[in-house]
Amino acid sequence: MRSEAEIREQLRTFVRHHAGGVDITDDTELFTLRVLRSVHLPELIILLERLRGAPIDVEQLRIGDFDGIDAMMARFGAVQP
Amino acid sequence: MTGPADLARIGLRWDPSGQAGLTGPLLALANDCDRAFQTIASRWRSREEAYPATLPASSLHGHLRSFPHQVTFATTLDPADANLGEFTDGPVVDRTGAVALTRTAPVTAVLTPAACHHVYHAHQGEQLPTAVHVTTRNTCFRRESSYEPLRRQWTFAMREIVCLGTAEETTSFLAQARAAIDYFTLLIDLPTDWTPATDPFFRPERHPGHLLQRIQPVKHEAIYGGSLALGSANLHHDHFGSAYSITRAGTPATTACIAFGLERWLYALVDRHGPDPDSWPDLLAAARQVATR
Repeated sequence: MRSEAEIREQLRTFVRHHAGGVDITDDTELFTLRVLRSVHLPELIILLERLRGAPIDVEQLRIGDFDGIDAMMARFGAVQP
Repeated sequence: MTGPADLARIGLRWDPSGQAGLTGPLLALANDCDRAFQTIASRWRSREEAYPATLPASSLHGHLRSFPHQVTFATTLDPADANLGEFTDGPVVDRTGAVALTRTAPVTAVLTPAACHHVYHAHQGEQLPTAVHVTTRNTCFRRESSYEPLRRQWTFAMREIVCLGTAEETTSFLAQARAAIDYFTLLIDLPTDWTPATDPFFRPERHPGHLLQRIQPVKHEAIYGGSLALGSANLHHDHFGSAYSITRAGTPATTACIAFGLERWLYALVDRHGPDPDSWPDLLAAARQVATR
């Protein structure tokens, strides 16, 4: 089981890999600022599902859910028992 | 509540295939409605551009993958004399109403799915020195599982106002355009609410476009009566700028559009103000107020 710190670090690694050298912090608005784009979303969701050990219902996604690592952790970061 | 009999009395000629003919007062209202949107478009000195009924399929790769269930293709017969002869010697149309096709030519054209696609295609490769605003109207084609007069149709008229510019220019345009529509609907007493929306993507659960629309405020619809989208405000980021090599300030242009489904406005106006043309609001006067505000 991964800790929340491990999930956060894996998300940082994913974002840095796709950010093209852009400096990011955990509250950088990744999709608003176009650091990440729509093509990255399916892979990001699959990564989050794997890290948290639970599926994500895309019909329950809300505006802002992915706009920053902090936002992702708040919405999806809780580790499943 | 507006019934089919009311609509027929004022000029609707409904075809159950999902297409509406307009005559009489309803046609006049449709023309006024479109002129009103053109007048609102003049607020940004939008230039009018007119385009044909089809787009090259080669320019719509992404759209065809995203909305295959809605697309209508322009199909022709293989022009070989023998093939045409085989067609004319056959039943031509069978008892179910289906055309008894013989060999068809390669399908290379798509009937317009959204009016603004023509604008990006036509401006391909341009380097824009300033933001560009365009207004265009086209008959659009979208297959649906069921149809309802003026509310959901296979073919319908779409008027759009399109902005091509920087991210800041398009964001500003959308804010102004939404405010303009709010003022217009206030003046004509047609209450609408803006709500975040998604397009009907094929297999949406893992479609990047659908996912983005769920997490980013890139599409909003102006809803009348709780469920009828009269128009939409759409931010495409640099999707079309990149796809069509349109640049602004040295980077792929950002695009945004406001789209109006004309038949739906007719439905809402008649629903709100009744079928008597004397009770309908002066759309052009209201639009002039919006444009000069």
